[in-house]
Amino acid sequence: MLKREKPKERFGYDPQKVLRKLEELGKEILEEVKQGKNPYFDIPTRGLNNVYFDEVKRVIRMGDKLSRRYFLNVAHARKFMQTLLIAAYVKRLVSEGKHASLREAYYANKHTIPGTKENTFEDQSESDPVIEDLERMLGVLREEMHLTADRRGYVYGDITIRDGEDEFNTSKLGMGGWAVPGTVEHIQFVDINVDYALVVETAAMADRLIEEKFPKRERALIIATQGQASRGVRRLIHRLHYEEGLPIIVFTDGDPYGWYIYSTIKQGSINLAYLSEKLATPEAKFVGMTMDDIKKYGLENVTEKLKGIPPNKKGGPTGDYKRIIEEMNYPWFKNKEWQRQLKLALEWGVRIEQQALANKSLEFVAKKYLPEKIANEELLP
Amino acid sequence: MAKAKELFKEFKIQSVSEFFRRNAAMLGYTGKIRSLTTVVHEAVTNSLDACEEAGILPYVRVEIEELGREHYKIIVEDNGPGIPEKFITHVFGKMLAGTKAHRNIQSRGQQGIGISGAVMFAQITSGKATRVITSTGGDEIIEAWVKIDVEKNEGKIVKKIKHKNTTGWRGTRIELEVKNVKYVRSKQGVFWYLKLTAIANPHAHIELIEPDGKLIVFPRSSEEIPKPPVEMKPHPKGVMTDDVYRMAKKTRKNTVKRFLISEFSRISDKKIDELIKYIAAIRLINSEEDKKIKDELFERLAKGEVDLILRRYGRRAKKVIKEVQNLMEKPPEKLSWHEAEEIVEAFKYMKFLAPPTHGLRPIGEENIVKGLTGILKPEFVTAVTRPPKVYRGGIPFQVEVGLAYGGELESSFNLLRYANRVPLLFDAGACVTTMAARSVDWKRYKVEDLDRAPLTLLINVISVHVPYTSTGKQSIANEDEIYEEIRLAIMEAARRLQTYLSGKHRRLYQVKRKKTLQKYVPEIARALSILTGEPEEKIKEYFISLIEKKFESVEEALEQSVEVEADAEA
Repeated sequence: MLKREKPKERFGYDPQKVLRKLEELGKEILEEVKQGKNPYFDIPTRGLNNVYFDEVKRVIRMGDKLSRRYFLNVAHARKFMQTLLIAAYVKRLVSEGKHASLREAYYANKHTIPGTKENTFEDQSESDPVIEDLERMLGVLREEMHLTADRRGYVYGDITIRDGEDEFNTSKLGMGGWAVPGTVEHIQFVDINVDYALVVETAAMADRLIEEKFPKRERALIIATQGQASRGVRRLIHRLHYEEGLPIIVFTDGDPYGWYIYSTIKQGSINLAYLSEKLATPEAKFVGMTMDDIKKYGLENVTEKLKGIPPNKKGGPTGDYKRIIEEMNYPWFKNKEWQRQLKLALEWGVRIEQQALANKSLEFVAKKYLPEKIANEELLP
Repeated sequence: MAKAKELFKEFKIQSVSEFFRRNAAMLGYTGKIRSLTTVVHEAVTNSLDACEEAGILPYVRVEIEELGREHYKIIVEDNGPGIPEKFITHVFGKMLAGTKAHRNIQSRGQQGIGISGAVMFAQITSGKATRVITSTGGDEIIEAWVKIDVEKNEGKIVKKIKHKNTTGWRGTRIELEVKNVKYVRSKQGVFWYLKLTAIANPHAHIELIEPDGKLIVFPRSSEEIPKPPVEMKPHPKGVMTDDVYRMAKKTRKNTVKRFLISEFSRISDKKIDELIKYIAAIRLINSEEDKKIKDELFERLAKGEVDLILRRYGRRAKKVIKEVQNLMEKPPEKLSWHEAEEIVEAFKYMKFLAPPTHGLRPIGEENIVKGLTGILKPEFVTAVTRPPKVYRGGIPFQVEVGLAYGGELESSFNLLRYANRVPLLFDAGACVTTMAARSVDWKRYKVEDLDRAPLTLLINVISVHVPYTSTGKQSIANEDEIYEEIRLAIMEAARRLQTYLSGKHRRLYQVKRKKTLQKYVPEIARALSILTGEPEEKIKEYFISLIEKKFESVEEALEQSVEVEADAEA
């Protein structure tokens, strides 16, 4: 049976650390200028060519390529200025204990530079990358800098959370559970009475499980990602696993998109490679949907056809087929179990949704499918 | 000792495909990155050539799709004239059968192996046929899958579908599936190759879709379609025995004399009379026993004293001349190897008018400037196209150089090498262009540190016969005349750069830069003050003095350089 494990990480959010790092950054720049040197920032390069898979930690990580941003270089000067503006803004936010959305951060820092017709920021597409640069430069999460992402996803189950001055149990907030905020750095877990967390791709499925009282019966925490997991949800999953020792089980549709959601939760993503150590949970396991489920539970007539052209047809592979083949090449899917599943999907040319289980009965998923598979540990790595 | 029977047990007649596989390097198929670039190169070259010959402004789209590990689909589509149905197998399927193979003409392509080589490469790495979709703009679009029958060296259409051409589309799209290749954004990869191609072909609109879906556009910056090159007859100084021997077997003329006059440039009736005398003289000199006398006579022959030498032999000379005259009247296919050798040797001693150069097609100064400006967005750009010259005594060539400086260029030296407008991506070290560029004393032209200068140099060597160092055709041999021409062209462009750098443009630019930096100071000071707690005004002062210091030294350097110039002139 699944049970909570010993915690591996401690609650780590420390606003003082963020403030210290920002001040250090400012002091270094100032010191350079005082000595008559051309001040600069070293920013880890973004993009695919600075990303690799760490076989030991089993997460996607950022390489050590740096790009240097000088003040005295005309091509860099504007970005140099913008970086400092955002850094100063973050310092104020954190020291005042306030949060701002990315859009608010953009508007708060946008103004016309005196004596010119130029704005400090012309567009949010200028401020967002600067924020990402700061994250990578300082090794500090955007959330820790009090800059919040979109909120998406919710949580239901017998755990008690402290969020600022509020303390609540997420199974006592109605059937909709507790909506995960953009940043979860500051929340604390007061009491946890569940054995594991079940991460569910679709809201419809999460609602179904809540209605069937699955969380209570199985001592599970339901985390609905509502599609690709947001940063907040991924960080929450990471913290629940490492700080609270909760095993993580992922439940998605049996299709390339669902498997990709799982992959992101587990190993991180290329875009946010520099955050993998804080967002990824390599120990997560996958409960379904798998291709084997189709045979085992007789779901043949509720599958859907894969989209696109298969690899052996002309013009192929495209669409779903192409993505499955890409996933087969991910290092973390290079094991017998996953290769077999993905190969089956290609062979049969089908996908299967979580909701297809309703074909058996509404209770089937909560009373039979999940409890059986989890109890027998029929999970994919 | 091994018996012949055993030795030959393993002996098999090599098929074209076998030869190709073993000698793929000759055609540019070595290495995973280069092979991919070569396939794209062959297809793009075909597209550009076809458009030019048809007088169409080219629109070429390249798409690289990753199908798996080291497994790609390469799609190249153009708006060219299209290929008539019956020529499809010929264009894509036959090796060594191209239209340019045996003509003396400046061309982008290799000798007719180009695209069929790519089809073959696709076939031997992925096993797939090449898909060709083409229309000449008529009622139908032809979709054909082409393979090469390696035994017969023939193209074979394995499947064909005809579609109605309702939109009046015209052009060619080919899709090749290749394995054992790799897409990398390096200086040997497709991206860099297309960028260089776009610079040298400003009349072409080129697009690239990279495997991750990123679209890159190299827009057209000139509306002028270059004239297609014209064929040139070889110049007597530029041929070898084998050329003469081979051409003689194929000619339609009925005497050696007619053959020489009609198929070489700069050979007239009068020149034939001279040739006869020279061959006779060579034969007579070769009959001398004493090596010293022999050498001396050859030396005199080189000075043009052919009549004096013939006189020395009196009646014997008359007899030999007669023999050579007979040789000139015999059917060319009867010309022996030895006789061809004599003709070529005589050519060496004779004087000819310089070869015609109307077949050379430079990019042109104006278009080089457009190409460099459009793609690189530099602050300064100039181009030099030198007049045609000859090397090895008779092979015409021409050198062009483009120079771009500053602006959006990175602070590093970049050399863009071309032969007949085709980018050369490999073996840069061995190339005469690299040697010539490095040999220039850049400091004299105000480029203090070449490797850190925001400077891009384009060099294009044009010739009907570019002297490559190897079969890979990626570097140009160090021929003295070519080396010297490149140096002259670079120095001329560099002089213009020098004028610019020391001129008022530079000053204006510096003022602009200074202002740009200054305007950010208040913003930076406020932010840094928040971060560090130091007073804003103090921080402002630090930054302002930093900027002043930087531009002081620049000003000083400018002043000094002006003084040096004045000294040099005085």
